[in-house]
Amino acid sequence: MNNPPSVTRRSTVPLLLTLALASVIDIGAGWLLVQPHFPQSTRILIALLPVPANLVLVVLIIRTIRKLDEFLRQVHLEAVAIGFLLTGLAVFVYGYLERADAVRPLNVGIVWFFMLLFYGIGYVIAARHYR
Amino acid sequence: MKNRLRVLRAEKNWSQAELAEKVGVSRQAIIAIENGKYDPGLPLAFKLARSFGETLEEVFIWDEPAKG
Repeated sequence: MNNPPSVTRRSTVPLLLTLALASVIDIGAGWLLVQPHFPQSTRILIALLPVPANLVLVVLIIRTIRKLDEFLRQVHLEAVAIGFLLTGLAVFVYGYLERADAVRPLNVGIVWFFMLLFYGIGYVIAARHYR
Repeated sequence: MKNRLRVLRAEKNWSQAELAEKVGVSRQAIIAIENGKYDPGLPLAFKLARSFGETLEEVFIWDEPAKG
């Protein structure tokens, strides 16, 4: 009946460092792709540049989740569910507003921002529920 | 489900953080269980009971839902 160890600084520091590295690579790739002087083959390579760091990030996040205790897993599950559903709703509404020519075409990069925002809101709601 | 976690912890003079450390969970988990907001799974319930030297039934009290 061994409980998984709590999430410690040892596991969150590599996660945050990888997140920072992935963000720098994402921004760098985005900047390089707007430069006009790269041939198409190089542009494809630049577009795929963020993949390895982001895959490492996915693995580290899953490892961190597995180290959470059963209560924190439940809180985060509710936060993810709220974040997922609200992001879906926001994209759905935005899509209809786009069809109505009320807004500009959706920049997919902003979906990440909404996922994080709604996940944060979901976490606060779930944490308050169990307080 | 009710529990006697807070009383037993006070008897042992343990903080919530100390109990959390003993059973390997977060302090938030202990707070939620003590407040009756979260019912632990069996492994954690057994660990909590054993940490006080009690049986499961002495720590966690099943509340039979009213029928009808």
